[in-house]
Amino acid sequence: MDFQDKVVLVTGSSRGIGAAIAKAFAGEGAAVAVNYLTNAEAAEAVTAECRKLGGEASVFQADVTDNDAITGLVDGVLETFGKIDVLVNNAFRPYVFDPENRRMFWELDWSDYQTQIDGALISTHGLCKAVLPAMKRRAQGSIINIASDLVARPTIPYHDYTTAKAALTGFSRNLAVELGPFGIRVNCVAPGIVYPTDATRGTKEDVKDMLIANTPMRRIAAPKDVTGPVLFLASDWSRFMTGQTLYVDGGLVME
Amino acid sequence: MTERAGYLPGLADGDVEWRPLEFGRADETVKIEVPVLTDAQMKALVERVRVAGRRHLKSMPVARIVDIVDRAIARLLDRDDPYRKKAEALLPVITGYDAEMVRLGLTGYLKTFRKPGLNRFLAEDFTNPGILDGFQPMAKGGVARAFGPDVLAHIWAGNVPGLPLWSLISGLLVKAGNIGKVPSAEPLFAGWFARLVAEIEPDIAECFAIVWWKGGDGLRETALLREADVVLAYGGNESLGAIRGRVPVTTRYLPHGHKISFGMISRTTLDARKAVAAAHQAAYDVVRYDQQGCYSPHVFFVERGGKISPRDFCRYVAHELANFEKKYPRRALTIAEAGDVAAWRHQEEAKALAGNDSEVIGGPDGAWSVAYVEGQEDFSPSGLNRTIKIVAVDRLDDVAPRIAPYKAFLQTVGIAAPPEELYRLADRLGQVGVTRISALGQMTAPEAGWHHDGRFNLLDLVTLTEIEHTAEAAADGLAPYVD
Repeated sequence: MDFQDKVVLVTGSSRGIGAAIAKAFAGEGAAVAVNYLTNAEAAEAVTAECRKLGGEASVFQADVTDNDAITGLVDGVLETFGKIDVLVNNAFRPYVFDPENRRMFWELDWSDYQTQIDGALISTHGLCKAVLPAMKRRAQGSIINIASDLVARPTIPYHDYTTAKAALTGFSRNLAVELGPFGIRVNCVAPGIVYPTDATRGTKEDVKDMLIANTPMRRIAAPKDVTGPVLFLASDWSRFMTGQTLYVDGGLVME
Repeated sequence: MTERAGYLPGLADGDVEWRPLEFGRADETVKIEVPVLTDAQMKALVERVRVAGRRHLKSMPVARIVDIVDRAIARLLDRDDPYRKKAEALLPVITGYDAEMVRLGLTGYLKTFRKPGLNRFLAEDFTNPGILDGFQPMAKGGVARAFGPDVLAHIWAGNVPGLPLWSLISGLLVKAGNIGKVPSAEPLFAGWFARLVAEIEPDIAECFAIVWWKGGDGLRETALLREADVVLAYGGNESLGAIRGRVPVTTRYLPHGHKISFGMISRTTLDARKAVAAAHQAAYDVVRYDQQGCYSPHVFFVERGGKISPRDFCRYVAHELANFEKKYPRRALTIAEAGDVAAWRHQEEAKALAGNDSEVIGGPDGAWSVAYVEGQEDFSPSGLNRTIKIVAVDRLDDVAPRIAPYKAFLQTVGIAAPPEELYRLADRLGQVGVTRISALGQMTAPEAGWHHDGRFNLLDLVTLTEIEHTAEAAADGLAPYVD
């Protein structure tokens, strides 16, 4: 897969899945914009690794839930690299995945839902809108939103988180219809639990065992497992796919 | 494989000199042999066609001719017919056009010449087509009969498959003896049609011939032109001018020069639902035969004020062209054609770099390009071969005055607008020289009976012989039954 001369913006790519995605693109020759919120050191480290892997890379600090910051981010990337071919909306609001101590439905207020919905959608909405003029101008582009397999199979009902990801999936499908005529594609990658990341570091072994027992591939995803489908959806190999969700969970969900 | 072009009644293959023309694309090559006639052979051929035309065609009822042409067209529409198979196999190689585009284009075009279409051709030009068979009463009094020329010469040009049929069939309908000269770019189709008609109706097999000479060969051209009663010629103004110089003063000369066509998209089309469909149709008009037709668009004027901006419409068109490139890839270009495309694109990109809110979107390898411009823009031809300009305008009503200086070159306008606006625009466009208005997406498919360049397909070919009322009255006085 050749991403030479392609420019990829990955939000929230200083760590976890985002960092793995950034490095994977760089490994295929892409110029990667590494966005982060607070951890400048981690972002710099990812950037350095990207360069070592053969891609160009630059860091861009921005709070992607803030519209002005989004505008600054996209302008900055365009100024540095001249265009944006691929946008990966990976950033999400911190969430603790703890099956034993998760909050039950009756413990949740609407504001908890709202927080997650805002976290998943405000940044994605803002970024999609911000990169659109540059993508339209070239009648091409690929947007990839990171959703979750919990939408299709809420193995553990993280109500607020999963509802927000479901909204993100619906958002993506509508956008795919709107942008198809411009040659711009919108797809989702929906991982299952990915271990280890900062969000899942505390996941207990018996939970993992329970998931593994139900997963045909008999293991849990690592961040690297998510990168392949993201690169595929960003590439010309998937040029006739839009509005799709690729599940990356070893076969736990089958659709 | 080798295929012989032309149709030469009375001449044995062995008596004719054949010149090979090589065509090829990808890994296919085709050798076409075209006939090179001597001066004497050309003269004899014209004479044979003249005599046979007088003897067999002139006395044939026009309804019978319609029937014969209809049967020939039915064969060409039948995908199992050997001629049709040959056309589908060879025309893509010769012209370079995508095979699917040729197949669909042929079917759409040939349908125009089925019996109902042919009757429409006749009805368009003659209130009573019986005037081609005998004297018919005239509104002013008296009677008249229309006679086609003894020899109608056609000088065809270009490579759009099947195009010579338009004038050749017109010639047959007015019972003319026809001699057609095919262009080197597509020398086959007219000859196939002639052979097919001859097979179907051997009686009229010598009433037409299809010949070839190298473009610009004045000597051979003159041999035909001086014998013809009417000369129909297609091509650029330069070659049409050269032909004009060789046509005797007393011969009727009907030149069809290069034309420029364009499209207009009203703001009422540009809503969230209809704009994408309109972009698809616009792109289709661009893609069909890679803008080689006189009816192919060079510019789309797009009105501001709709929900979808002209700029976004331009991007829709870009994506549609990218789609069509996958469905019907553009043919391989000659070096000169590729140069024209590159020069056009370079010129538009320079404009975009200079600001003015212009932009250029292009496919990989320059397979298609869309230029977007705002404000006042000179109406100029595109670089052809899927290069199109989208011009944003405040009001479509302002377009007609801008194109008025190009009156001599205007032909078709594809319009997407509501009825009242359609008529208002048509009125203005007609005044500045536009002769055909079609729906968007239909620019390259004129309907049966279309008045090519605003002229009469059949009426322009004939002469009327009138028996005035006085002659009738005087004759009455000499009748044996006079009281």
